Formats: sequence, structure tokens, C-alpha cells
Amino acid sequence: MATILAINNLTKKFGRLTAVNQLSLTIESGQIYGILGPNGSGKTTTLGMILDVVAPASGDYHWFENTPNEEARKKIGSILESPGFYPYLTAVQNLRITAHIKQCGTDRINEALKQVNLFDRKDDKFKTYSLGMKQRLSIAAALLSNPPVLILDEPTNGLDPEGIAEVRELITQVAQQGKTIIMASHLLDEVQKVCTHFCVLRKGIKIHEGLVKDTLEEINKVEISADFDQEQLYNILYDFEGSEDVSTNGSGLLVTLKPGFNSREINQHCFTNGVTLKRLSTQTNTLEKEFLKILKEHD
Amino acid sequence: MIDAIKLEWLKVRNYRVFWILMGMYLLALTVIAAGGVFFLEWIKSLGTDFNGIDPTIIPIYDFPDIWQNMTYLGSFAKILLAFVVIISVNNDVTYNTLRQNIIDGISKRRYLLGKLMFIIALATISTLYLFFTGMITGSIYSHVWEARFIFDKLEFLAAYFFDIVVYCSLAFLLSLVIKKAGFVIVLLFLYTLMFEPIVGAILTNAPIFRDTIWSELVAFFPIQALNNLITVPFGRYIFMEIQDHIPLKTIAIAAGWLLIYLTIIITILTKRDMK
Repeated sequence: MATILAINNLTKKFGRLTAVNQLSLTIESGQIYGILGPNGSGKTTTLGMILDVVAPASGDYHWFENTPNEEARKKIGSILESPGFYPYLTAVQNLRITAHIKQCGTDRINEALKQVNLFDRKDDKFKTYSLGMKQRLSIAAALLSNPPVLILDEPTNGLDPEGIAEVRELITQVAQQGKTIIMASHLLDEVQKVCTHFCVLRKGIKIHEGLVKDTLEEINKVEISADFDQEQLYNILYDFEGSEDVSTNGSGLLVTLKPGFNSREINQHCFTNGVTLKRLSTQTNTLEKEFLKILKEHD
Repeated sequence: MIDAIKLEWLKVRNYRVFWILMGMYLLALTVIAAGGVFFLEWIKSLGTDFNGIDPTIIPIYDFPDIWQNMTYLGSFAKILLAFVVIISVNNDVTYNTLRQNIIDGISKRRYLLGKLMFIIALATISTLYLFFTGMITGSIYSHVWEARFIFDKLEFLAAYFFDIVVYCSLAFLLSLVIKKAGFVIVLLFLYTLMFEPIVGAILTNAPIFRDTIWSELVAFFPIQALNNLITVPFGRYIFMEIQDHIPLKTIAIAAGWLLIYLTIIITILTKRDMK
């Protein structure tokens, strides 16, 4: 697999604050890589550095195994929080500038505008556009050169539900074409839905990196309740060979299972011990829970 | 090179403010540089005379003197051209398009090159325009019409071109440092026409500075350095000695400033975080 981006010990300081601290990442072709973190954790600064608009204090990065940076950027479509367009130019005139810089020819402009539903307004000035339309034009600009890599910074910020759905749809579409996507977001649900890989930043430090799939597979907690004496039920569950830990959880009990056991076996165990369960629910792990756990571990 | 200038062309081609400013500039240039006869008529109507000489017979549009006279007067209009540069750079800063251009795939050097080419294009247009205006005005008023006079002293047009390039580069630098276009325009206007001339006059004429190293410094001031390329030519009509050539020293000082401006610009572009 070809390496798309290699970041080595990238650091950025704003005065006394270290916004990004010794960050190293490698992103391979075809990955959909989510950079997670609370607000102010250095996500946007990192994207700014790899796009050459924020000057790093130290460290370096390489695109496409040492392609010169500005040449590499021509092959990257970027959708950032504040898109830069000339308000006095129309959508088509703005995209001509993008096409000129990306050296990709102007013949795809109409197609790109149709793709984001702006074709009817193509000859209206950018300043007459609504926020959603502006965001859509920046998507059109990013897709104009049909780039192999897409960078998204909080792609759904400020969009209405319909817009959010459209952007998600687009990310999935683009991902199916085998393109590489790097996105920063604080919306975990979003990352969970579309990303294959993720890392977590906190105060500029990478505190976790992994596959989204692996994180979601760690399902090992079961919530249980029954019309039965709580203490006796506790003992029955405690005796179960697959129980790692049992704790009270509101009106019910929460069982942490050892690896290799599942809810079916616990049900069986209870039934043989004369307990009919009223509720048995497997807690699915979400990225949100995992994320909060990771943050807590590094507090 | 062509790509760099084309980018700037795409930015201004459909920009009405640009065309209005350019129109105003060329109009002002025409009036200032070629309206001398009307000015002299006006002086005459006021009753002024120069030791009994009728002002309207002063041959300001005779070849080759016309070139120094017109470029001297025309260079006053360059401040309007600087406004075009200020607005062009300021747009890129305030609309975030400088950042967008870089993200889309040009280097910061390339951006600088584009703006420099834009300035050179403006200076070329202005110089050619002044040349043709001079030819037309000269064909009407000049008492001589021979190639060896017409094409003499054309170095003043080259100096005029250089003057605009350096001055507009200063405007480029200022609009990168100060992000408010209106403020840059006022500042550049006041500095060019008031601050530096006043300080210069004090250093040259005040008794405590006169004939000291301080008065020598005036020639190195950024605006004075440009003004010294083409100095007031009208003394010749009252038999005073004038600087009727372009001294190498003034070219060197102006070139020094250009180098300084470009160096600071590239440093700012490289070091500044664009958010």
C-alpha cells in the first residue's frame, strides 16, 4: 500500500501554548482517517500545517512519498471550515480560478456544480449564496480535479440536517472510489459512521490510534434485571464462570464478561439457577464511550 | 510566469472596482501629464508672467524634453495605481483566498511572483499609455518632429516604469502587514505626500541638520529615493540647471528598497499562519 502522508514529530507553538506536540502519523492509500479530539486539541492546526498555511515550529511531513508540497496539494481536494472564494465572482468564475491552480482544465466545472446542486445558480455571485450553498461550492471546488485525496475539516459544521446527510453520502461515495480521506471532527458519531482508522488528539498530543472496527468490537458488558431478590441474583451472577465483575446499575445489575463469553450463556446460566430474566441487554460499544474512556485514561 | 499572471487576471477580469480604478487612473494620468497647455493657459489668465514671458509659449511638449516633463508629472498619479494593488492584495487577505490559493496548490513564492507580475503588468500598461499620450501630445505641440529628438531621452520612460514597480511593491507589502485596505490607502497617501516630505524638508533645511549626515539620509528615504529618479524638470525654462539624466546612485537605492520589500513580503508569507 502506498503511503499518502507521513508526518514526523510535527510541532506547533502559539506563544507558550503548544498546539500540536511531536505528532507523528502515517496515512496509507485508501484509508478514511479520522482525527478526533475535543475543541482546541490541535486538529485544525495539524491540517493547516500539512496544507502549508500554518508554519510548523519543528518536524516535517511528506506527501505521496516526497512529492514537492505544492504539487502534492494540486492532487488534494480540501473542504475547510472557512472556504475562500471571491464574493464578487460567480460560482463558475471562482471555480475557473481553482481549475487554473489545480491545472485540471475547466471542462469539469459544470459537472461538479451539478454534483452539488448548484448548477442553477452557477452564474450568481458568491456573495448571494447561503451558508449551505457556500459549503457546497467548496465541495464542488474540492472535487473539481477529481483528486485521489480529500481533506475535510469539520465537514458538517453549520449545515442543516439535509446538508449533513448530503456530505455523509458524498464521503461514502468518494470512499467507495478507493480515495483516501483525512477528516478532522469532534462529532464521534460521524467518524464512527464513515472512518476506517482514527486517532485521538488531546492538547496537541496523540493519545490513541487504531482501527474503528477494533474499537467497536469490544462488546463485553451486559445489563440484567429480573423480578428476583437483588442480592441473590448478584450471587448467582457472581458464580457464573464468565463473569469478570458484577456491579449494581440502577434497578438492575451490570455484568462485565470475560473474553469469549456472551449474553446467551449468561441467560442459560440464570435459567438453570431458576431465574427468569426480565431484561437482558448487551451494551454496544460506541466510539463515544471509547473516546471518553481514552480521554479519561490520559487525564 | 504566464500561469502566475493568468491567475491574477482571472481574479480581476470580472471585478468592477478594478476597472473603475484603472479608468480613473488613466484619466488622471492623461489630465496630469498631457493637460499642461491648459494649466499654462490658466496661469496666463491669472496674470502671472515669467519676467515678461508668455507662459503658453514655454515648450514643455517639445521632444525630447516632453519625456522627462510627462514622466515627472505622470508619476504623481502612481498612488492611484497603488490603490489597485492594495485592493487586490487586501481581497486575498480578507476573503481568505490567499490561503485558499495556497491550499489549492501554489507555493508562496508563486503567489509573490503572481502579484509582482500583476504590478509589472500595471506598470507596463501605464508606461505604454504614457508613451502614446506623449507621442500624440508631442505631435500636436512639439516644435521639432525628428526621430533623433523623439526617441531621445526615452530612459525617462524606463525610470517611470521602475518607479511604479517599486512603489506598488511597497503598497503590496503594506497591505500584507496592515489588513484594513482603507487604512493602508490613507497611510500610504499621507506618508507619500506629507510625512516623508515634511521630515525630508526639516532634515534638509533646518539649521541643526543642514550639512550634517542627517540631510544626506533624505536621499535614502523610500519615497525620496523614487522621486530622485525623475526630478523636477521645469527649472530649465527659467535657465536653472536641472538633473536631466537618471543617476545610477538613485537607481541603486530604489533597487535596494525593492529588494527589501520583496524580502519582507516573502518572509511574512512564509512565517505567517493563515487561519
